[in-house]
Amino acid sequence: MRKKFISSLKIFWPEFHKRKGNIHLEPFYTFTDYQHLWTMSIFVLALTALIPLCIVTLIHYQLIQKSVDSELRLRTERLTSNAKRSVAFFMEERLNALIFTVDEMGYDHLIDNKKLVEILKNLKHGFGGLSDLSVIDMGGNQIAYAGPFNLQGKNYKDQPWFAQGLKNKYFISEVFTGYRELPHIIIAVRSVKKDGSIFILRATLDTERLMQTLTSYKTGEYIDIFLVNNNGVLQTPSVHYGDIFTRTDLKTFNYSTRTEVSMSTCQGVPVILGHSFISTDTVVTPFILVVSKKKQDMMYAWLELRQKINWTVGISVILIVLVITFASTFMVNKLYQIDNAKAQTMLQMEQNQQLASIGQLAAGVAHEINNPLAVINQTAGYVKDLFSFKDEVRDDDEIIENIDSILEAVDRCGTITRQLLGFVRQFDIKIKKVRLKKIVADVLSFHKKESEYRGIHVTVDIPDTIPDMETDSGKLQQILVNLVNNAFQAVTEDGCLDIIGSQIDTETIELVIQDTGCGISEDSLAKIHEPFFSTKQDQMGTGLGLSITYGLVKKLGGNISVHSTEGVGTSFTITLPIKIQERELA
Amino acid sequence: MKHTDILIIDDEKKFAAMLAKRIGLRGCHSEVCNDGRTGLKWIKEYSDSVTLILLDLKLPDIYGTKVLTGIKEINPAIPVIILTGHGTEKDRQQCEQLGAYMFIHKPLEIDRLMIILEQIRETSK
Repeated sequence: MRKKFISSLKIFWPEFHKRKGNIHLEPFYTFTDYQHLWTMSIFVLALTALIPLCIVTLIHYQLIQKSVDSELRLRTERLTSNAKRSVAFFMEERLNALIFTVDEMGYDHLIDNKKLVEILKNLKHGFGGLSDLSVIDMGGNQIAYAGPFNLQGKNYKDQPWFAQGLKNKYFISEVFTGYRELPHIIIAVRSVKKDGSIFILRATLDTERLMQTLTSYKTGEYIDIFLVNNNGVLQTPSVHYGDIFTRTDLKTFNYSTRTEVSMSTCQGVPVILGHSFISTDTVVTPFILVVSKKKQDMMYAWLELRQKINWTVGISVILIVLVITFASTFMVNKLYQIDNAKAQTMLQMEQNQQLASIGQLAAGVAHEINNPLAVINQTAGYVKDLFSFKDEVRDDDEIIENIDSILEAVDRCGTITRQLLGFVRQFDIKIKKVRLKKIVADVLSFHKKESEYRGIHVTVDIPDTIPDMETDSGKLQQILVNLVNNAFQAVTEDGCLDIIGSQIDTETIELVIQDTGCGISEDSLAKIHEPFFSTKQDQMGTGLGLSITYGLVKKLGGNISVHSTEGVGTSFTITLPIKIQERELA
Repeated sequence: MKHTDILIIDDEKKFAAMLAKRIGLRGCHSEVCNDGRTGLKWIKEYSDSVTLILLDLKLPDIYGTKVLTGIKEINPAIPVIILTGHGTEKDRQQCEQLGAYMFIHKPLEIDRLMIILEQIRETSK
């Protein structure tokens, strides 16, 4: 399960991280820094995808914020305006009732206590909210009184409302406690007696009724509706600002008949404030109706929506990044694979090129060597002839023997140059029926003298049951020459060289060439098939032998593997098809 | 003109000279030409008195195959052995087509040459 998970992560992790640097391939790569390519691809793609997303999200936020704000304003304005109209109507209604009473009844009627009680009863019945009624003369003396409090004979001369009442025809006071120690509002109507002196009909409004009216507009728990006076003192209790008569920090409002909405803060919390001055057609009241909404509470729905948007955006960002990483990894991987294949092909081409030019060089060398060899041959032959045909030295066997060995050496050189030429002409394809045993014997014959001289034990074990092969005998011979040469160079005196052939199946044979030589170190083992790798630099090795052999075996459609232990020996195992396919030689 | 057993056309002077000497030691007469033109000129003159021609392919003036063509034009009956240090398979095929008697790679074994000469003498009798 865990493994499965980790392997599924690989689609996001590029292959080139585990690249083993092959120094020969490096120059052929089109891109050198895949890490950079990968990160840049992810970075650029992610930026192109994410920046518009972020911008759109921000714009969306702002739009919603704006519409929420204007919606809030509108609703507050409507509420304030409605509540104001109610309160104004409440006041106007009662004031008008008093005006009507004064105009209808006249002074004489009003100072009759019994009648005043009757009038209060009727007013209470008709409008409610009125707690008492009194008639006050110019001197502030209460002439008549109807109501629950015993206020008979009180003088109001020093009360602030009295002065106002005298000055204005109609008057509505702020909320105050007065003699009765209860918050109330005074409504006063000034009138003139028949004798021309002034009197005032005063009614007291209890705030209870007014507060009920206000409360009826509280549509939600976040809304606070209250009245303040011009000095910012609360005239009704407020949820946010405190109890009645608390001085608030509400800024003084400029008088306007219109309802206005503004943004403010209440104890550091942003609020939306709607306010409206309460006035009737006949009188201006000291009241300002205020609607206060805590913005945070009203924004709850919007905040919830924003959280949803945030989640959606967050998940989208993760998805985009994942998809981009996957796509980048896929593309860069493909690019890397293609580049790798290209580099390998180019390296191979370069190696082929090198081999071809070495081949041409070898051909030239072979050509040039052959002529002097022929001269040596003929000269040595002539010297031999001189001895053979002139009687006096004919029997000097030693000289003849030495000359014979020169001639033999020339023969061997000739053979080698012929082989070299044959090898250079790799493209001359000659498929012939060949007997493996015979080819091995031919190759070993070149080393017959050497093995005798150095005491190397050569064993050949190739059963006669192995069928004749149909292959390029020149190439096969060359493979064997190279491997046997190597073995001879590796073994010391009394060493062994075994050549063992066997048939694996109807189509394949196997040939093992093993020696008890010096072996190949592990480091070198990895490189022996690379052209120009040689450990025999001091012995003029070209580093081409095994590389060529490897190529030849591949051309014959076979495989070659090598096992070696330093100091113990080396064994090369070649498998070859018995019948070569034409196309494999092409 | 004394009968010539073998005409050697080879630009490798030392080789040709040595070979000629060795042939001489074996009681046969040989002549040497060091380039194609001299060779052809010689043959034109003495085409009746030569048994065998040894011809190198790489000559300084004319390529061996052309010399061979020239020889065959003069006298197709004279056996020509191509003796070369570096003949390719293609050369061999071409020379055989042109009517070469043999195609031999250097180095040349004198005894083999003498045997071949003997065989030619036998067949021409």
